[in-house]
Amino acid sequence: MTSLAHTKPAIAPAPLQQSFASHLPQLQSLAIQIQHNLEHQHRWADLHVHTHSPLTNEPLPRPLVSGLPPQRIYIHPDEQVELLKEADRRRKADRTAAEGAGLQVKAEPEREWILPTRLNEKWTLRRLAEVFDAITFVPPAPDTAADTPDRPENPWRTTKRVLLGTADSDSTVVYYIVHDGVVKPRQN
Amino acid sequence: MAPSAAPTSVEEPFPISRVADRYLLFSIDIISHCRRNHNICGMLVGTIPNLSQQNIFLGIPLEVMPEEARVLVERGAAYIVDDEEVHRKAFEEMSREERLEWLQEMDRRGEELTKSTGELKERRKDKALKEKGLRREVLEKSEGSVADSPASESTIRDDSPSSTESSLGFIMKGSSFSDTAWSEIGASEASLFESAPPSPALSVVVNSASKGTTTQKHFVTPTTSYPPLPNPPQDPEAGLPVVPKSYPLFRYLHSLGYYHMPGLRFGCHYNSYPGDPLRYHSHFAATGLGWDDEFDLLDVVGGGRLATGTKKAYMVGGEDVEAVKRNKAASQGAGLFFDEPSKEKGRETRAFSIEWAAL
Repeated sequence: MTSLAHTKPAIAPAPLQQSFASHLPQLQSLAIQIQHNLEHQHRWADLHVHTHSPLTNEPLPRPLVSGLPPQRIYIHPDEQVELLKEADRRRKADRTAAEGAGLQVKAEPEREWILPTRLNEKWTLRRLAEVFDAITFVPPAPDTAADTPDRPENPWRTTKRVLLGTADSDSTVVYYIVHDGVVKPRQN
Repeated sequence: MAPSAAPTSVEEPFPISRVADRYLLFSIDIISHCRRNHNICGMLVGTIPNLSQQNIFLGIPLEVMPEEARVLVERGAAYIVDDEEVHRKAFEEMSREERLEWLQEMDRRGEELTKSTGELKERRKDKALKEKGLRREVLEKSEGSVADSPASESTIRDDSPSSTESSLGFIMKGSSFSDTAWSEIGASEASLFESAPPSPALSVVVNSASKGTTTQKHFVTPTTSYPPLPNPPQDPEAGLPVVPKSYPLFRYLHSLGYYHMPGLRFGCHYNSYPGDPLRYHSHFAATGLGWDDEFDLLDVVGGGRLATGTKKAYMVGGEDVEAVKRNKAASQGAGLFFDEPSKEKGRETRAFSIEWAAL
């Protein structure tokens, strides 16, 4: 009885499995699938799989992915108005440089959370809320990207958001932005 | 005569009629009050009695969703009245004197209406004649006799029905067109104006001596039952309107100032508008769910894609039962432990806005 805690498990988990120890293997492989899709199909960078909440250090409901998209994935409509105004000011400032140039909107890409899911899953509001309660507004900066200067946090990012990545059995992945709260739609 | 022109104040709480489990508003004042002050639009469901086949133009009554009725009741702005019961009771108890008084009131309003439409006709006629260069002063000297052109006469006749609908109700015109005011004039008088076509059948004119009182008679049919009846008393046992599970999301969005329309057209429960739906595009196609209700991700994908394609966001939301319980406990414990319940208060209703990521 007392020696039970000290006995070695018959099969030691692989190093990869150890980092995921709190989650089921199908959820681990799903996170890796989404990470792979983002990296190679959508050219995302700085991709990481998170198993523990950065807020509470508790295990997350399922492994989440974070990463940096090649361009901004979401611009809030109010921010877009500001960016357009600023771009207009800049264009007026150097009118001599390029007359016919269009508005150059500058929106730096931001790190995003990605929630990996499968199409045949059922979800509930409770579980969705648990995911949001466990994450920060912006994913924590990875150690590998320490050389890049810390961007000031976007003042427009006032609600949490995740990218809902839904994978079908044929490995198609679709992405939807989910905001935690009432966020007005973009003017597409 | 026309309370819709100058908004009359509505006394709260006002009654909402429940007829066969539908919530109806019959008074135009209350309907506009709801829209102005409570962000409640509802749907007009009444056909126009005179033009019942024109059923794309609907009028009062206004049907409100059970959710809308519930929000109004919970705000203390309205109360539910079982219309059938109230009608049976109240009209049985109505005395003969009251009935006669009301009928007289209707007669009086009808006369008022006749007078004002008569005046309107006069003004139009005046205007039309002025346009033709025939000034009114001359006409009145010559005992109000003029050959009217067929064109101006027909426009006046075509326009007049638009003024017959007032907020009092629908006005039935007297079917007998036997007013003495409309008199055909002889060719001798028409000869005063040689240029006008001397067609006596069309050249009619209002006899200014007898106008107003004996022109077409209007009969007013009231569209509301209170008045003539006094507002029915509030029934404390009436209970709140029964609402579907999506109600918490509706209440939450409504509390944020959103207007709502039924969501069938976009496959959801509610379409939420940031302002009056006549002025704004809708922001959300919202679906309300229970906290532990399972939903398919395919619904999220489909809803999100459709909503983004129509410049909206798809929304799922519901009431966090745990947060409600916690808050309830906190508010009860607040007196004992003296902590800060407002700070700890979690969001009772959670909503998630979903948009296509365009990846």
